[in-house]
Amino acid sequence: MTEQHETIQSVTDGIYNNLVTSMIHSIVSKETAREKLLRSRYGSYKQYHYDPNSQLDIHGNPKQQDSSQYFYCENCGREVSGNRFAAHLQRCLTRGSRR
Amino acid sequence: MTISSNENSASLRAQIQQCLVESGNYEAISNELTERLLKDGWVDEVKKLAREEISQEDSPNFSKALSQIEPQALDLVQQSTKDAIMRKITAFLEEIVETE
Repeated sequence: MTEQHETIQSVTDGIYNNLVTSMIHSIVSKETAREKLLRSRYGSYKQYHYDPNSQLDIHGNPKQQDSSQYFYCENCGREVSGNRFAAHLQRCLTRGSRR
Repeated sequence: MTISSNENSASLRAQIQQCLVESGNYEAISNELTERLLKDGWVDEVKKLAREEISQEDSPNFSKALSQIEPQALDLVQQSTKDAIMRKITAFLEEIVETE
């Protein structure tokens, strides 16, 4: 019997390693390319803000009250409170069509 | 096929690889591995790892990042996945290779 340098086990290991490392390579290269692209495009960009208490949004701001936001109604030219806008449209548009 | 010396081992591996590819087994095994790694969440874990590693560096460098991530990523592979794939490869090798 000749001396064995390669066993089924060692060849299996080699093939398995080839498969896994090539997957790792492709993932890492994609991530590096992505990061490079982002940096060259936006300079030092900011990560989305993450709040573990889920109170703040991606810019690190708290939620704004709907009632404190106003929308301009194109139909009647008035500022309408955000949470009343649908109700406003219902009336504003029917009145508008009658005109 | 006798396995005897180190010079032969490289060409032997190449031959086996060729055989695997030609029989279509390589593709099947590769697909199964990809599928399992995706299901295990390994792919996402490695992505996360890579992202963390790269964002820490001043300039993203592939080979530097790879040397950091590769050993960790290899360890992250679930044992059951590794075993299943190894069993498949071994089974195929046993068919085509004669051992002494």
